Amino acid sequence: MTNGASKALLWSAGLALVAALGTYPLYANGYYLAIGISILYFTILATAWAMFSGPTRYISLATVAFFGLGAYTAAVLGEAWPWPVVLLAAAALGALVAAITGLSTLRLSGIYFVIFSFGLAEFIRQLVIWYEVNVHKSVGRYLFSAVTQDIIYWQLLGLTILVFAAGWLLGRSRYGLALRAIGADETAASHSGINATRIKLAVFMLSAVFMSVTGAVMAPRWTYIDPSIAFNPMISFQVVIMALLGGAGSLFGPVLGVIPLVLLFEVLTATLPNHFSILLGATFVLIVMALPRGVIGLVDIRRRSAVTATRGAAPVRDGSGPLLAVDGVSKSFGGLCAVDQVSFDVARGQIVGIIGPNGSGKTTLLNMLSGALRPSSGTIRLGDTAINGLRPYQIARLGLARTFQLVRVLGDLTAAENVATAILFSSAPTASEPAAETIRQLLDLVGLSPIHDALAGELTYIDQKRLELARALAPKPRLVLLDEWLAGLNPSELETGIALIEKLRERGTTIIMVEHVMDAIRALCSHCIVMNAGSVIARGTPDEVLSDPKVVTAYLGGADA
Amino acid sequence: MLLFDIVLPGLVLGGMYALIALGLTLQYGVARVMNLSYGESLVAAAFGAVSLYGGLGLSPLVALLLAVPLAAVLNWLLYRLLLERLMRRGKDSGAQEIDSILVTFGVLFVIQGIMLVAFGGQYYSYSYLSIPIVVLGSTLAVNRLIALTFVAVIGVAVYLALTRTRIGTAVRAIAVDANAARLVGIDVSALSGLAFACGGGLVAAGGVLVSMFLTFNASMGVIFTMKALVVVIMGGVGNVLGALFAGLMLGVVETAVARLVDPGLTLAATYALFLGVLLIRPTGLFGRAPS
Repeated sequence: MTNGASKALLWSAGLALVAALGTYPLYANGYYLAIGISILYFTILATAWAMFSGPTRYISLATVAFFGLGAYTAAVLGEAWPWPVVLLAAAALGALVAAITGLSTLRLSGIYFVIFSFGLAEFIRQLVIWYEVNVHKSVGRYLFSAVTQDIIYWQLLGLTILVFAAGWLLGRSRYGLALRAIGADETAASHSGINATRIKLAVFMLSAVFMSVTGAVMAPRWTYIDPSIAFNPMISFQVVIMALLGGAGSLFGPVLGVIPLVLLFEVLTATLPNHFSILLGATFVLIVMALPRGVIGLVDIRRRSAVTATRGAAPVRDGSGPLLAVDGVSKSFGGLCAVDQVSFDVARGQIVGIIGPNGSGKTTLLNMLSGALRPSSGTIRLGDTAINGLRPYQIARLGLARTFQLVRVLGDLTAAENVATAILFSSAPTASEPAAETIRQLLDLVGLSPIHDALAGELTYIDQKRLELARALAPKPRLVLLDEWLAGLNPSELETGIALIEKLRERGTTIIMVEHVMDAIRALCSHCIVMNAGSVIARGTPDEVLSDPKVVTAYLGGADA
Repeated sequence: MLLFDIVLPGLVLGGMYALIALGLTLQYGVARVMNLSYGESLVAAAFGAVSLYGGLGLSPLVALLLAVPLAAVLNWLLYRLLLERLMRRGKDSGAQEIDSILVTFGVLFVIQGIMLVAFGGQYYSYSYLSIPIVVLGSTLAVNRLIALTFVAVIGVAVYLALTRTRIGTAVRAIAVDANAARLVGIDVSALSGLAFACGGGLVAAGGVLVSMFLTFNASMGVIFTMKALVVVIMGGVGNVLGALFAGLMLGVVETAVARLVDPGLTLAATYALFLGVLLIRPTGLFGRAPS
């Protein structure tokens, strides 16, 4: 079959499917229409859930909080306001609650977020119950509405199309990539210039809007509504199970879980009502044990998002003076002064080495420069901008990139995507060269171009270090911080590594390197700072400082020791 | 006096919460299993106590001797047969957490389904030592005081076992870092299984004691799971003293809200307190500060 013919076949199959779905209420009777509605609303909920929770891995049990809020909006306002306005109100309420809770809670991770989201749903339910009992004077409400099942179905179908469109657009945008980067390693992502909080919040709100509108659309389906129906926590659990069964990592994964489970629930409730929950539970156990990556994991389509962005940072013009000026910077943890009154300057194009025994405060200093820690006192200026107290993504966008002592790559993204993330979230956008070409050049520079499609988590140690360097260089930073980038390499890798940094020096990159490999310090650095117990004890050329008696004492101990 | 009327019943209620939460501290804090079927195990133990009391006339305190070892064995089997496999499969703690949530969610339905088939949906209760006595001007039931005593004894015993014994130290090492524990020669999967089983035993003890004064039915498990989780997380995961303190605090706050504000808002108060603690100290009241 020719390509054109198969494409035509695919299109006509797709059109037939859309037509069949669109006209479904015309030929399906009440029972099958009800199943159709169930499938659609769980599809929206599960897809919206996976939109946020899939890439970030925040397991949210708050689905029903938003769903219930939407349903109650419709129940309370449905008779008074025109329907589109009611839907908008539900969307706005969902977004508002998501914004308030998200702002305060998205820094919780793992189980804390799971329980928090569950608690949130219960909290809202309790408040609604209290309101209904004390203000409305009745726990339940009757909904008298002319909305038929057919209309509910069509509204849900429209919403389904919207949620898939939104998910598709999000996946293609740089925010989709950022979300995956956050899921892989939030720290590394924010040091690549990603404002993790804002992106998480925006997507959380987007998914909440879909959930609350679904609730509003579904409300007329019940003629009677009370908080235990609208805020049934089972809905949250079902959504999670469905999305994970299908595969939360991809756009069409959740729907693959929704369809079989909705049908299964139907069959079980109809045939074995008494043993329903036993069988349901056993099915869950089986699914989790047998299908760890969801149905879509069986197919194992690892979609590589085509990154064809046209962004890259333009070097920012600096005034005169040093590129980096560190003045009297200190950091204490409780009573321990890890860095004490450190001052130094770094000129453009210079490679400055920071050496010192373990625990002398080198990494703490680097963490303050890159924004991971906030200095207790002192100022840090990058060019003309004071950067002390700025957050990591802001500092990254100002042109300061770093690598980590314990290598941090975004393990679930490919090598190319790791670099792309950093490019897409760097400072000023320029439409000069296509990013794909930049990515290739960068991976070429560090010697990774043959494996740019491999997952970063599967690379060898030295290749992960190379990748981390490429990611740091991607936004064309003015200053690169290398935290023991050469540590743990074998002698031949060390040679390659030193040669690579030499190449960067020839390109005029300014570098601060924390290092224990003295050969590398001698070969690469024009200037050296020696730290001990939080203070600078010597500075000068590598040869000068390494022969300084104070430095020798710091490393080897004094004669009286 | 109003203060005693709030504090004493609050402490008794809180003692019950602490008791319910103790087992979960072990299961979640040490074995790293987020056991969503926790409340169902508790209700199952309560049903066991009801059956023994109603059928054979056995006192709940005797039922404890039967229920605790039985539950420990069943939980050990659950860990060995299902959960251990997931722990080995998950490539990081996040994946393990998600898998354990999902599997125990399934187990929740299985246990609940069995109880529904066996006992139906109606409420159960029985009367055992529900003799009122007056302490400092407020009326309390003897059975609640017995439960409170058990909480204190079990809590101290678990605390001492964890801090003063060789196995307890190994268990705490696993709670901090399972991989590092493995490196110093600790058999992580065997001891995690043991901690999980002990947690199961404590749940059963909680269920039997709670059944003395609480009316319950087959589908109430999730309420206990939530309360236990709230207490465990407020106290700091894996922290026995934290769980005791958080449980007592929750009991007092709930009683105070019920007495002073509106009984309808107690659950809302629980979650508000919980959300507040999480926001201010995400690792719990007694948890270590995040690194």
